[in-house]
Amino acid sequence: MHFVTGGAFNGKSQWVKEYYKLNETPHQWISVYGGELPNLWTEKEAIYQQPFMVFDGIESVFKVWVQKYDVSDIRDMWRSFIDSWNEWEQNDPQRNVVIIGTDFSKGIVPLQALDRKWRDVTGWAYQDIVSVAERVEIVWYGIARQIK
Amino acid sequence: MEERLSLIFVSGGVRSGKSSFAEELAIKIARQYDAHNSSQSDCILHYIAAGQASDEEMKARIAHHQRNRNESKVNWKTWEQPIGLKRLEDVFDITDVVLLDCLTTLLNNEFFREGEKWRNPSFQAQLMEDIIEGIEMIVSSCQTLIIVSNEVFYEPYSDNELTMIYKKMLGKLHQKLVRMANRAYLVEVGIPILMKGDH
Repeated sequence: MHFVTGGAFNGKSQWVKEYYKLNETPHQWISVYGGELPNLWTEKEAIYQQPFMVFDGIESVFKVWVQKYDVSDIRDMWRSFIDSWNEWEQNDPQRNVVIIGTDFSKGIVPLQALDRKWRDVTGWAYQDIVSVAERVEIVWYGIARQIK
Repeated sequence: MEERLSLIFVSGGVRSGKSSFAEELAIKIARQYDAHNSSQSDCILHYIAAGQASDEEMKARIAHHQRNRNESKVNWKTWEQPIGLKRLEDVFDITDVVLLDCLTTLLNNEFFREGEKWRNPSFQAQLMEDIIEGIEMIVSSCQTLIIVSNEVFYEPYSDNELTMIYKKMLGKLHQKLVRMANRAYLVEVGIPILMKGDH
């Protein structure tokens, strides 16, 4: 599992596309911006068609979840998502999972309670995925720095 | 082969010391040039100031930067250029070092130059192209151009259309400039971290 993070509009998706040569590699790009993650970990067989999966804009999922669930439920849901995809990836050496998430942890404390919850949960969720991922990258205006 | 340092990109948070670092870097490059080319005319240091003294706070910020530049005992030739970089087409010599501080302010000024037009995607594209062309023009007419900009990309998304469009444009400009640059630095708490190129 490969986690790619960095600030907004820093060229994270573009870096993933270029690094993995996705224009010539069959892959499934799931952009979760503005929406909720479908129950992918129970519907994997139906949804995946390619051995290469990219989940882009993962922070958007938490924005939706913080409106419905408490923090510990979100952590559990997220960990089960990671574990399940990690297991899927490990079952076949051809498989790859890349998850892209925007780092928005460095501004002023948000005024709205839900935005604070969203920011907190996203920070913890990123720590969860970093502990599982074998590779982590920070992208700064198209330049990647491997930190794990 | 000696590297021709044509563009250096410097970014950092508010009060990270990015301007001071960029000024010191400009002076260092100019002095190195003079030391290696003693027979020729001195390399001139230019400062492109994008900030406009529109209110008391801005006046104080500008004065703070001017004081710092005066204290450094280096003669800067200052160009007040809140918009329209291309107007500086003929003012630099190929041996000069130019510092632009800062891109965020320049983009901000350009953004509002025609009222509500910032909502129009073709205006946005034109504006970014104008800025890049202006920068390319300066790069090709001087020895080294150093551009200072800000890190504004680490906050939760805002629902504010204006902020999102501005950030998207600035992000695209930064990506483009880092690609063009020979060197790119991220300044954290006064410490420059080299992200691209060699010292």
